[in-house]
Amino acid sequence: MTDWAALVGPTWVASGGAADAVDGVVPARVVRPGSLAEVQTVVRAVAEHRQALVASGRGAHLDMGAPPARLDVLLRLDRLTRVVDHQAADMTVTVEAGCPLAALGAALGSAGQWLSLDPPRPEETTVGGLVAANLSGPLRASQGGVRDLLIGLRVVNADGAVVAGGGRVVKNVAGYDLPKLHVGALGSVGVIVEATFKVRPRPPVEEAVVVACGTAREAAETALVLRDSDAAPLWLQVAGAGGLPEGPGEGAAAVVGLGGIAEEVADARACVERVGASLGLRTLFVTDGAALRARLGAFAVEPAAAVLRAATLPSEVGSVMERLAATARERQTVVRCLADAATGVVRAALTEVLAVGPLVKTVRPDLERHGGTLVVERAVPDAKVGVDVWGDPGPGLRLMRSLKAAFDPGGIFSPGRYVGSL
Amino acid sequence: MLPASLVARLRAVVGADGIVDRPEALLVYECDGYTLERAAPEVVVLPRTPAEVSAVLRVLAADHVSFVPRGAGTGLSGGTLPIGAPVMIGTSRLGRIETIDVRNHRIVAQAGVVNQWVTNAVRAHGLCYAPDPSSQPACSIGGNIAENSGGPHTLKYGVTTNHVLGVELALPSGELVTLGGAVEDRPGYDLVGLVVGAEGTFGIVTRATLRLVRVPAAHRTLLAVFDSVDAASEAVSGIIAAGIVPAALEMMDRLIVQAVEAAFKVGLPTDAGAVLLIEIDGPAAGLDAHAARATAVCRTAGVREIRVARDEAERAALWKCRKRAFGAVGRLAPNYCTQDGVVPRTRVPEIVRHIAAVAARHRLRIANVFHAGDGNIHPILLFDERDRDEVARVRAAGREILETCVALGGSLTGEHGIGVEKVAEMPLLFGPDDLVAMTRLRAVFDPEGRANPHKIFPDAKVCVETRVPRRQAAV
Ligand SMILES: Cc1cc2nc3c(=O)[nH]c(=O)nc-3n(C[C@H](O)[C@H](O)[C@H](O)COP(=O)(O)OP(=O)(O)OC[C@H]3O[C@@H](n4cnc5c(N)ncnc54)[C@H](O)[C@@H]3O)c2cc1C
Repeated sequence: MTDWAALVGPTWVASGGAADAVDGVVPARVVRPGSLAEVQTVVRAVAEHRQALVASGRGAHLDMGAPPARLDVLLRLDRLTRVVDHQAADMTVTVEAGCPLAALGAALGSAGQWLSLDPPRPEETTVGGLVAANLSGPLRASQGGVRDLLIGLRVVNADGAVVAGGGRVVKNVAGYDLPKLHVGALGSVGVIVEATFKVRPRPPVEEAVVVACGTAREAAETALVLRDSDAAPLWLQVAGAGGLPEGPGEGAAAVVGLGGIAEEVADARACVERVGASLGLRTLFVTDGAALRARLGAFAVEPAAAVLRAATLPSEVGSVMERLAATARERQTVVRCLADAATGVVRAALTEVLAVGPLVKTVRPDLERHGGTLVVERAVPDAKVGVDVWGDPGPGLRLMRSLKAAFDPGGIFSPGRYVGSL
Repeated sequence: MLPASLVARLRAVVGADGIVDRPEALLVYECDGYTLERAAPEVVVLPRTPAEVSAVLRVLAADHVSFVPRGAGTGLSGGTLPIGAPVMIGTSRLGRIETIDVRNHRIVAQAGVVNQWVTNAVRAHGLCYAPDPSSQPACSIGGNIAENSGGPHTLKYGVTTNHVLGVELALPSGELVTLGGAVEDRPGYDLVGLVVGAEGTFGIVTRATLRLVRVPAAHRTLLAVFDSVDAASEAVSGIIAAGIVPAALEMMDRLIVQAVEAAFKVGLPTDAGAVLLIEIDGPAAGLDAHAARATAVCRTAGVREIRVARDEAERAALWKCRKRAFGAVGRLAPNYCTQDGVVPRTRVPEIVRHIAAVAARHRLRIANVFHAGDGNIHPILLFDERDRDEVARVRAAGREILETCVALGGSLTGEHGIGVEKVAEMPLLFGPDDLVAMTRLRAVFDPEGRANPHKIFPDAKVCVETRVPRRQAAV
């Protein structure tokens, strides 16, 4: 038996309880290392005893993925919170894995900059979780996702060694792009301890316009017109009926965020209004664009039995939203949908646990036939029972299996949670 | 020597016109854009379809033969040098653009498609392929993916990896596997992101799904003339620090300006210490405000003169100078080699001063034309390959510059790749554990190590002493 208290100090070890459960699986121990060296020691101890760990930050996104096959240690990185190096003039930042995005945002904000990734719950979302779960928000439409902004990563591997990939410069092709291996991997191939990102100047003005539409399909079509207009959207969402959480509009809508200096935003707003007028649609101006964006982003984590994430081509967003709604109706239940028009990612929130499995089984095959995917992004444990949360990862699965075997031969990192039960 | 029976089997796959094995015909393939070392393959195979690539690789796999992929051969780090790999597989006949999806901003192109053709194919729809290496009239999409190539406009738009959504990869076993695709967010590891930048060591990319972007509505293109490289570098730091994100921010020093002017006669000031090409793009509103701020920063840095392109023709002329600068260097010396180190953007003034000092110390001429906004330097070391001592000094100077890049917190290469050229420098940047992780990754795709062997990693067999004689260096 490992003497955890000797490794990280008695204050930082606790027995796992119901609140620490990952998809209903309760860890024997919760361990909170205070340094990189302690993370290495913990990983080595877990490996030595052929145990399994799940790395976490503040636990805000542990409801993603399949339930772990085994779980001995919940490794919380919430004590590693330093902003290691913010070079404002270089527009890069290096930060420890446990740093919450809100804190990082405050540090960058004082220089007029931001890490242009806006997942929900920034106070509870840590940098490590951001990378491991590949989180994003509406800004992804113009700013890209984690893979586009991450330039360096330090990871503790299954041997307990610290492996560095990438670096601290914005352009770098020396060696393989190892950081990409960990983006969205749910901690299945290592424990992320530090990340370096490109940051950008934050647009001084951010506003939004809601274009009210009759149907989700019309909203999705309108959004594509806006995408190709001179409005140059900062973000671009499509709400199905009832998809807009609160605030302006109740029916379907295309919601466009506009950012930049005042004259750019004014011009973009006029452009959106012209597009609306030409299509005979009502537009509603929102002064606090950032607040609306945060509300839209929170859709992914609002209380629900499950939030599904369907990915499709931008041109198919409207029809996928309609199919989801129609299938739910057939099953006497409701979904609310919100989509990113630029990336083709549609989220659907379901309130009934029992509706999750049947809906997934009905909609997924059709999506996959057309090159799309459907993932149960988050769900309460009951809703995952008997449901394949990931679906088909595609022909790369064999390579993914050998990749997992190469980087985690003993199966110590989040076994069972990732695609293909990896 | 490859057995004749193997060549016969390859010929059966690709046809007689798909095999190059006459010694004089092989000369073309003995180096790419990195000319310091040369070695010809025993045979070059030119498949016409992804299926033929797969069949060729199956023939090689059966006999455990190693191979080198080759696109257009414009690479600048010797990635196509066939070391310990007798067979070269060229993609020049994989030249088809397969589908264009204007509504979804996607295009599917085979690996041998030339970068520029992609933009040409979609420009009428107001779209373009953003990564624009200066070699874009020649270089291939497969080569771009292998090197994760950049270009002047990647400062704002990102490099190749940000624009590749899917690839079809022929594994060294011959298996064709489709990774990613037109739809984003496929669950599972980001294998596409790993293949991009792998320098051909995972197999051969046969086709790719690329993201297209809208051509910006308007541009402001400025040419800022400075008395010294120092002053121009200060302006670069200043522009970035001011929170301006230009589409491009490129520097050319006096040697380059003189060579370009001699070649193209566009009226560049040949007595300038350095010029900066600054481009700001986007919707028309606000462009003038951003340009005015950039201009103010240049004035603070002591700019001598600022020219503004008045129309598309003037803009094109300025870009022609920049993009053909490498070609113009041919006027300065019989041979040149280019380094590709990166420094944090604020260290551009320091690295530029260091390059000048290195040039003086090694009695070399070094010209500079580079992606200043990204901190990605391109010192062009001029030499005459017949002068063995000068060649030795070029190598020493190159290494010193890279050592300094790393010491300043940067990298060995921003877009040209490690290839064979910088293999020995990899340990400056990565420790043993990092390199082990990379070799583990490689083995996932290529367990026998037959795809482009002896690249990227300082492997035990090819230590510094034995490496040079193994290859036939030009010198
Ligand atoms: C004048 C000039 C200007 C340049 N400007 C730039 C610039 O601005 N930015 C920049 O980034 N680079 C630049 N380069 C470098 C070069 O053009 C790029 O690296 C380019 O992407 C190489 O493409 P290629 O088709 O010529 O590849 P090659 O030189 O043929 O091959 C390069 C590497 O890719 C591998 N490879 C090729 N095709 C495949 C495939 N289908 N599958 C797997 N591996 C493959 C090869 O094995 C080799 O390792 C420049 C070069 C020149 C000569």
